[in-house]
Amino acid sequence: MAEPAPGGRPAARITCIAHPRFRGRIAERLAALGVASVRVENARCVRQRVRARRWRLPEPKVRLEDAPAEIYRATVARPAAVGVLGALTRAADLDTPGRGSLFVQDILEFGPDTPLAAAGGAPAPARMLLDLALVTAIVSKAGSGEQVARSALRLGAGVPVIGLGEGTGIRDRLGLLRVTIPPEKEVVHLVVPRDDAGTIERLLIEDARMDRPGGGFLYRTPIRAGLTDPMLRIGPQDRAASIEQLVAAIDELKAGTGWRRRHADPATAAGELPGRPDGYREIVFVCLEGEADSRIRAAMRAGAGGATTTRVHGLGGGFEGGAAALERGVLCVPAGAAERVVDALRADGPVQVEMLEAPSAFAYARMRA
Amino acid sequence: MDPAGHIRIPFRTALAMVGAYVRARLAEQCWSVAFLVGYLALFQALVVGAPPAAALRIAVGLGLLLVGLTCFLEGLWLGLMPLGEQVGLQLPRRTGVAVIAAFGLLLGLGSTLAEPAIAALRVAGLNVTAWDAPLLFRLLELDTEKLVAAIGIGVGVAVAAGMIRFAFGLSIKPFVYVLVPVLLGVSAWCARDANLGALLGLAWDAGAVTTGAVTVPLVLALGIGVSRAAGRQEGAGGGFGVIMLASALPVLAVLLLGMTLNASTPRATAETAFFAPAHRAEALRLFPDDDALVRHAFRRGSAEGRRAFFGDETAHAQAIRALADPAMRRLRLGDLSLAVWAAQRASDWERALLPSGAALDAIAREDSRLPLAGVLGRESLVAARAVVPLSALLLVALMLFLRVRPRHGDETALGIGLALVGMTLLTAGIRLGLVPLGDEVGRPLPAVMHGEAMERGRVRIEPFDPSAVFTAYGEDGTPAPHFFLRDGDGRLRPEPFDPTRLDAESGRYEHVLRRPPAFALRWAAAGAALVLLFAFGLGYGTTLAEPALAALGRTVEELTVGTVRRAGFVRAVSVGVGLGLVAGVGRMLFGIPNLWLLVPPYLLLLPLTYGSGEDFVGMAWDSGGVTTGIVTVPLVLAMGQSIGGELGVVDRFGILAMASVYPIVSVLVYGLILRARQRRSLNIAAGEGGSGG
Repeated sequence: MAEPAPGGRPAARITCIAHPRFRGRIAERLAALGVASVRVENARCVRQRVRARRWRLPEPKVRLEDAPAEIYRATVARPAAVGVLGALTRAADLDTPGRGSLFVQDILEFGPDTPLAAAGGAPAPARMLLDLALVTAIVSKAGSGEQVARSALRLGAGVPVIGLGEGTGIRDRLGLLRVTIPPEKEVVHLVVPRDDAGTIERLLIEDARMDRPGGGFLYRTPIRAGLTDPMLRIGPQDRAASIEQLVAAIDELKAGTGWRRRHADPATAAGELPGRPDGYREIVFVCLEGEADSRIRAAMRAGAGGATTTRVHGLGGGFEGGAAALERGVLCVPAGAAERVVDALRADGPVQVEMLEAPSAFAYARMRA
Repeated sequence: MDPAGHIRIPFRTALAMVGAYVRARLAEQCWSVAFLVGYLALFQALVVGAPPAAALRIAVGLGLLLVGLTCFLEGLWLGLMPLGEQVGLQLPRRTGVAVIAAFGLLLGLGSTLAEPAIAALRVAGLNVTAWDAPLLFRLLELDTEKLVAAIGIGVGVAVAAGMIRFAFGLSIKPFVYVLVPVLLGVSAWCARDANLGALLGLAWDAGAVTTGAVTVPLVLALGIGVSRAAGRQEGAGGGFGVIMLASALPVLAVLLLGMTLNASTPRATAETAFFAPAHRAEALRLFPDDDALVRHAFRRGSAEGRRAFFGDETAHAQAIRALADPAMRRLRLGDLSLAVWAAQRASDWERALLPSGAALDAIAREDSRLPLAGVLGRESLVAARAVVPLSALLLVALMLFLRVRPRHGDETALGIGLALVGMTLLTAGIRLGLVPLGDEVGRPLPAVMHGEAMERGRVRIEPFDPSAVFTAYGEDGTPAPHFFLRDGDGRLRPEPFDPTRLDAESGRYEHVLRRPPAFALRWAAAGAALVLLFAFGLGYGTTLAEPALAALGRTVEELTVGTVRRAGFVRAVSVGVGLGLVAGVGRMLFGIPNLWLLVPPYLLLLPLTYGSGEDFVGMAWDSGGVTTGIVTVPLVLAMGQSIGGELGVVDRFGILAMASVYPIVSVLVYGLILRARQRRSLNIAAGEGGSGG
């Protein structure tokens, strides 16, 4: 039995989303900064592609277009985070719209006390924003991730990045009948302006029909600092600057996204979701692939409703005894149950667990409960 | 048992859940076979112009096919593929590269022995004769074990090499650059020898056929597991590429086997010389005994060959008359029915010696029944052979050797059961539904091509009164003999009289009823185009329904997180297979040598491979091996059989090899298009950027 979580040690999680072709440069940069155990997840970016219609018909045709992406996640010491952000921005040229996004979240880390990279880095990128939030939507597959992405793009909320996951929860308590419910999930990551997050969440829930049984699950986590990818649409440009470039420029000038708020009066119309006053906690753990099941079962006994696991692998790799295939489990639990769940996850032997507050969360089942 | 507590589901709710699930899966498979069935039906209406002869049986067969496909695929997802992937993940954790490679070798060998492609190859070689292509005949009929062993070793080495590749993260490209020229070089060298040249089609088809419906998903899953666990994703292309090796190495293995056996095999001779008594000792080197030799003379030889075998006319006639005896028929014709033999093999002289028409019809009716229960029984044995040993091997490796329990034991068991049931129904459905339908459409096609009237049936008139023949004049004044025939509706119709069909002795006249051509095609080009169009659609449609490809497509979509869509990928492969069949049928129509149609695409593949990304190279080369699977092979062979039979083509090999190389081209081209599009959206100038790409 591991010692009860005393609150964990403060750390910062860096998440970088970029095209696979920058993998080499990012790996090199992170290795130079001494950042260990980088986890990579395969994902795709969805953007709108705008084309003129044939025969000069009015109204351009808008289609969704996918591009491969990789999500790199690493943990560093909190003071070093912005420096790493700057270094990565330079390595993959993330200042250019369309290249990817990058952000830092402050977390509490429980687990093997490996030293965190604390030094080096580069000055903060010019476009860095301090008032962002990450909205994570987990939906059953069969095209609903696409639906969320479409809605997000239509709302101009950001470039959605979609990864694949596998859900564990009620499904596993059905016996063999569970095979009738596909476990595949799509996990949509969306970086949005913090002040606008509530509105966007609410619109997403309506637009992507997440307010129905089996519609999925959505929660928000805060971002300390980050760079968004403003390139929502690709296509012929008939102005000196695209609207996305203008938005990025004004963000930079105003040093924030507050001016983009959709509702004038935050007190009444911010559209915050109904939730618990103390909020939720996002709990993340990483273990060898195939070992997540037992830990999740323990977590569910401790009060977690379910988990979503995603396959990740170590960056760099090598024939390291098959340790490159990893699983990253994500649970979103009420704040009160968080410590119990963390303890349950760690009861089975040492494992890296991260905890992060999630001010709001939404699921159909939770509304009913 | 379950800590979180088992939820009890009321029976009605459970039923509703299962119902919705089954409905969704069935609907999905409906779409995948819809094109094929619709297409065949359309051609049936256009070309044959009548409902299929055994409409009920075909409908039952199609139903079985649908249920079978659904079950089989679900079995793959639930049972076989997760199992393979789990073994792949655990192997590198607990053992070294050598053990992984040894396991790959075992799996490859086992899969070949379990899913013998030899049956399909034998169908393609149904018309191979011991005198034209002795070496080919020897491998197919006499030294079958050696052939299977060679193919098995090829597949085993391929899977082992694939696993080593994943463990060290090697790129597939060097394998392509080395293997393709070697294969083409060896083939070109073999083409110079008559015996070995005849083997080329078999060798290339063997490569295409070996990767069966169970092997492909298993090997794919295993490779993905090893590749992920080894963590070298950069070079390895994420787990693809093993199927390509498993299709290429057997070609080499079969050709090498042929070279070693070539010295001890008689040379090709003329048929009469082959069957001549003086040549008997030499000929018997290709047959286990005398009976087999005489059976060969009956089943594949011509009347001259049989005359040469029996020496003189009386012995020959005696042998033909003896066919009326069932035991003798069994001995001389094997499973070939007398009616079919009489129609296809016998000369007019021989046919006249056979029992009279009514008796022949009775024999034919007796022979042509294809009972559902018998088919199901036979196919379930085949399915059990394919599924059980392989899954047992994986389970043993996992539980005894790696000491890990399957992730979801109940799901694995359910999956294996579904795969078994599914494969049985699927293959039975193909045999009962798709093949007869395809055959019925394919057979009259070449006649359409020539704009000929097609045979609709035969009428025996006994005795025929020659005085009923009258003369009718054509518009240019040429006289032609005719007689009146009363058709089914009781109308009198003048029919042309063919004096050669009147047997003067018995007074028997056999009249061939002809139907006017479906299209008044005056030019052969349009007919050829129609045949080629049929081939294209058949290839496209069967590939859409191919379960192994569905497994590959789903894996591709998963590993690329949806940037390569399943539908797009499958369509690209299907177009390739369609083109491959066009090439294969074109070869038979126009008599082009196999090598001429195989070498150019392979040469084109080298630069395409060089220019493509690592992931797409693996997927594309794998798709080549995957396409020729459980649905495609029987239909394509049946089509080759019917079209080739009508055209009188002896060697019907090569069509499968083409169906497996053209998709590689189409998928690589598809990948290049996708990449160009993505590059635009990435907003990167060409040449910029780091690794990959």
